[in-house]
Formats: sequence, C-alpha cells, structure tokens
Amino acid sequence: MNFLAVLHKEMLEQWRTYKLLIVAAVLVAFGLSSPLLAKFTPEILKAIPDMPPELAAAIPAPTLADAVTQYVKNMSQFGILLALLMAMGMVAQEKERGTAAMMLTRPVSCETFLLAKFTSLALTFAASLILAAVGCWYYTLLLFAALPWGAFLALNGLMLLVFLVYIAVTLLCSTLTRTQTAAGGLAFGALILIAGLGALPRIGDYLPGALFGWGTSLTLGADQSAWPALWVSLGLIAAALLAACLVFRRQEL
Amino acid sequence: MTAIQVESLTKNYGAVRALDRLNLTVETGVVFGFLGPNGAGKTTAIRILTGLARPTSGRAAVVGVDTAADGRVLSHTIGHLPEEPAFYPWLTPLEFLDYLGRLYGISTAERRARTRELLEQVGLYESRKRRIGGFSRGMRQRLGLAAALIHRPSVLFLDEPVSALDPAGRRDVLELIDNLRGRCTVFMSTHILADVERICDVVGIIHRGRLVVQSPRESLLAHYAAPVFELEAIEGESLSCWADSVREADWVTAVSLESETARVTVKDVNFARRELLTSAVTSNLALTRFEEVKPSLEDVFLRLVKEGVS
Amino acid sequence: MEEIRQYIPFLVPILIIQLALMIAALADLIRRPRTKGPKWLWAVVIVLVNFIGPILYFVAGREEEIKE
Repeated sequence: MNFLAVLHKEMLEQWRTYKLLIVAAVLVAFGLSSPLLAKFTPEILKAIPDMPPELAAAIPAPTLADAVTQYVKNMSQFGILLALLMAMGMVAQEKERGTAAMMLTRPVSCETFLLAKFTSLALTFAASLILAAVGCWYYTLLLFAALPWGAFLALNGLMLLVFLVYIAVTLLCSTLTRTQTAAGGLAFGALILIAGLGALPRIGDYLPGALFGWGTSLTLGADQSAWPALWVSLGLIAAALLAACLVFRRQEL
Repeated sequence: MTAIQVESLTKNYGAVRALDRLNLTVETGVVFGFLGPNGAGKTTAIRILTGLARPTSGRAAVVGVDTAADGRVLSHTIGHLPEEPAFYPWLTPLEFLDYLGRLYGISTAERRARTRELLEQVGLYESRKRRIGGFSRGMRQRLGLAAALIHRPSVLFLDEPVSALDPAGRRDVLELIDNLRGRCTVFMSTHILADVERICDVVGIIHRGRLVVQSPRESLLAHYAAPVFELEAIEGESLSCWADSVREADWVTAVSLESETARVTVKDVNFARRELLTSAVTSNLALTRFEEVKPSLEDVFLRLVKEGVS
Repeated sequence: MEEIRQYIPFLVPILIIQLALMIAALADLIRRPRTKGPKWLWAVVIVLVNFIGPILYFVAGREEEIKE
C-alpha cells in the first residue's frame, strides 16, 4: 500500500527533474532517425562529388535489415548510457541530501524504497521505448516496408529487459557508494565488465547483450533464440536488487 | 510510564567514543531538554533513539519499543526533526506533507485538514504551493517541524530545533513546542540554555557521551546553582585585598575577580546578605554596585561541565 | 541531392523534439538562481550543442538551491 505512495512520488520526481523528458526525447529521436539514417547513408555516399561511378554503383541499396540493425545499434548504446545516467543518483543522491535517512524513519521499508525506484525507472524506460518503437515502425513503413509488429514488439521487449539489467546494476552501485559520481564510476566499470565478457565467444551467449541479436533476428524473420541470456538477465536483475536491499538495510545513514 | 529508556548506551565511531555508557529515563508527557556542548553526543543519542544508528552496546527503547529492532512500529510512534531537515526540493510543502500523510495511512480528508492545520501553525501556509528548493533555512526548519508532527507522534525528537532561526522565529517555534506539552513527550537537544530555561520541564546534561546530571529544571537550579553576589568597586586594588580576606571565611565557597568586579559564591544566602556588606564597609571599599545574582542555567551548566571534565 | 530533399519532412519531428528539449532546458536555467558553472556558458551550450547540450545541462548543470 505504501509502495504505491512511494512510487507516485518517484514518478513525480521523474517528471519534475526532467528524467522522463530526457529518456523519452533521446529514445524517440533515435527511434525516428535510425530508419532515416539507414535510408540516407547510401544516398549521401553517392552524393560525394569525386566518387568514381563504378564505386558508386557498388554501394548496395538500403534494405529493411539496415533499418532494424541501425535501430538496435542506436538504442542499445544510448539506452544503456541513459540507464546508467538516470539510475546512478537514485540512491546516492538521497543519501547525500539526507532524504534517505528521513524516509527510513517513516513507515517506508528499505525494500519499498529501492523497488519503487526500480519500478519508476522501468516505467519511464518502457513508456519511452514504446514511443520510440511506434516512431521507428512508422518511419520504417514509410521509407521501406512494414515490419512484422509482433516480432518488433518482442525486439523492444528484449531491449527493455537489457536496460532493466543495467538499471538494477546501477542502482546497486548507487546503494554501495556515498556520492553520485562514485556510483556512476562504479556502474561504468560494471558496464565495461558485462560488455567485455559479452564480447567473448562462448560466454557472450549467456549475457544480456545476446538479447539484442535475438531480437534483431526475430524481427528479420530468423529465430536465433538466446534463452540462456534471457534467464541470466532476469537473474541479474533479481540478484542486483536483492543485494542492494541487503546492503541498504545494513547501512547507517 | 516511561517514554524513553536508555541503558548503558555506547556508540563508537572508529576510535571515537561518541556515547559512553549513557543512562537516561524520560517520563511520558514531559518536555525534556537534552543539553550539552557541541560534540557531546547529543545527535548520536537522537540518531540511535530514532533507529537511524545502531548502538555498539547497550539498549535504547522508546515507549517500550527497542529502537534497534522494529523500524515500522517505531516510525508510527516517533517524530524526528534533524538538525538540518532534508526535503525533496522539487516538491511543495503541501505535496510533501500529503505524501508523508499517505505513508502513515491517513485518510485523504484527514490529510487535507491536518496539512492545512500544521502549515498554518508553523507559518508556512502562504508558501504552501512554492517549491521547497527555494526555501530559507528558517522555513525548512519550520516545515521540518510540521513534517515531524504530521502523524501525531507520541514521542517527538528535536535536534537543535531553533538554532537556525532568527529571534522571532525562535520564539514562535518554542511556543509551538510549549503547546505540545501534555500531548506528546518532547526530547529536545540544544546548546542554547535560554531556550531550555524557557520551556523544558526536565533537563539532562550530557558531556563527552555521559550523562552528567538529570533533574527537574527547578530543582536543578535550586540544587546546583549556588547563590552568587556581585560587588563592584572603584579601586580595584583594595577590592582584591578584600577578596583575599573574604576567601578565608567559612561561609564563602569561592571568589573570583574580574578587574573591578568580584563574584562571591556563598553557602548561606541569608547570612551572606548581612555579612558580605558589613565586611565590605569595614574594608573601606568604594562600592558602586552590590547585587545578589539570580542563578541561571548557564552557571549550572558551566559548573557541571567543568566538574565533568575533572 | 534531389533524392535526399524528399526526406526533409521526415526530419521535422526530430527537430521538434530537439527544440522542446532546448526550450525546457532554457526555461529551467532561467528559473534557477544558481547552476554548477556560469549561467551564460550553460545558455551557450544548450543553444549551440544540438541535443547533447540540453541533456548535459539536465544531468550535470542543475544545482539544488539552498538559501542561507
């Protein structure tokens, strides 16, 4: 019951501190520009004045696949960056400001406090991603062809899951540290670690990054499923949140 | 019934011992003044009593609830105003108090009435729709008090509630606290003695993490504040000669000299009233002032703290 | 170039988003008594650096006001 009150306050914070605006603006802008960029790039290359005609002819015409890969590439980069930026201050800033201590002398448990933060960010990213996906779908329709909406929805769902992993991990970092900057640094380290491990051949299949490939293949008609990565992602979210709760409960504010 | 029970409470921060086997009992319904110099352990004690810090050893209970154990029960019982209250700068006072009210499960209609009542009491009703981010320290302090009272706590902890306020604001807030008397137990830490003298029923003095003394304000003054007489004379030299002779007398506890003023602490006031002046006249002092000084809590405090050191 | 010109209407929504961000950032900057770093510099950054400018301001430039 208290959870809803705290969540309401968190959403109000997302709105008043412009977090919702930033996430929505960035994701929607990339959602729209990705298919556009996929369409543009060959045209721009052809427009280069000194381009030899035989080379210009060799430039392949843009395809639907280009639009989707461009979308996934942009979203993964900026979505993860935003997840880090938006979540790094969530707990650390409240500790710095003293509001965390104030809330915990009220009937708010550590779990409610942290879960409300996670949920509010999840809602912000979900709403922004829906807008971005609709924009991308519509632009792709105009510039290329209709994307299979079911598969495209699945792609966005998988992307959201990856963002949630980084949000949960960053929240844990924010709980561990005293300042926003330290939390950001620690979370960035974790990001590098997860991304670095994800680039390794065998291990990569089990890490969140594999979900981007799965989603892309789904949308383009193939199905290179990455169920292990899905379970690992869900496990990472649960583990990070649980660890954050345990750490937070032990801290003296 | 006791509101606050502290038994042998010790708190270490690394090598620093903030509280050293502190014992304290506060009865229900009193306004308790928790007095001590800066760094004596006042804030640490309040942090443990509100469940924000855990004791290294010992026990603290508020209305029978162990403060190290159940935060949820405790949070409904206590109100806490920290020295520098913290707020979300992007909320307005109205929204903030309403949010807190929701956390305590207060109904919408009651929240509306309670919020308005509190904002009027602390003089922030005019600013109810401004963002807290732009508030001055004094306004934040008042809002903090309103926030601490929203759920009608039975024990209220105030950490230096008036030190950030100007004289007028200080008077208002003290009056507010005074009005709480009987409705809830107030545990107020401060280093400003005048405030304690104005509203506290019981005074506890803490020094270096230990309770030096605890007693009702009146009996503290009566018991510890030894009567003092002040004599001022024109010629400082003869005054110091006289001071030396008086110091020997068995009805005098102490004499201190400060340029042309002698402060004489005595054992028997009635005897001193007659004898002091007679001896001054005999010594041919050119007196400009002779006064029996009403003992203030400040005198008691300084004396007790000094004794605590030795 | 003709080929590219026909896509210009597609850029309009993206420009609108950019403008909205810029206006929101400038509005906040004007209302805020203090920022981290000089105000005029933030104004320049918000207006001149496309997209990233306003976001940078929202993430790093704003300071909570506490009046003494």
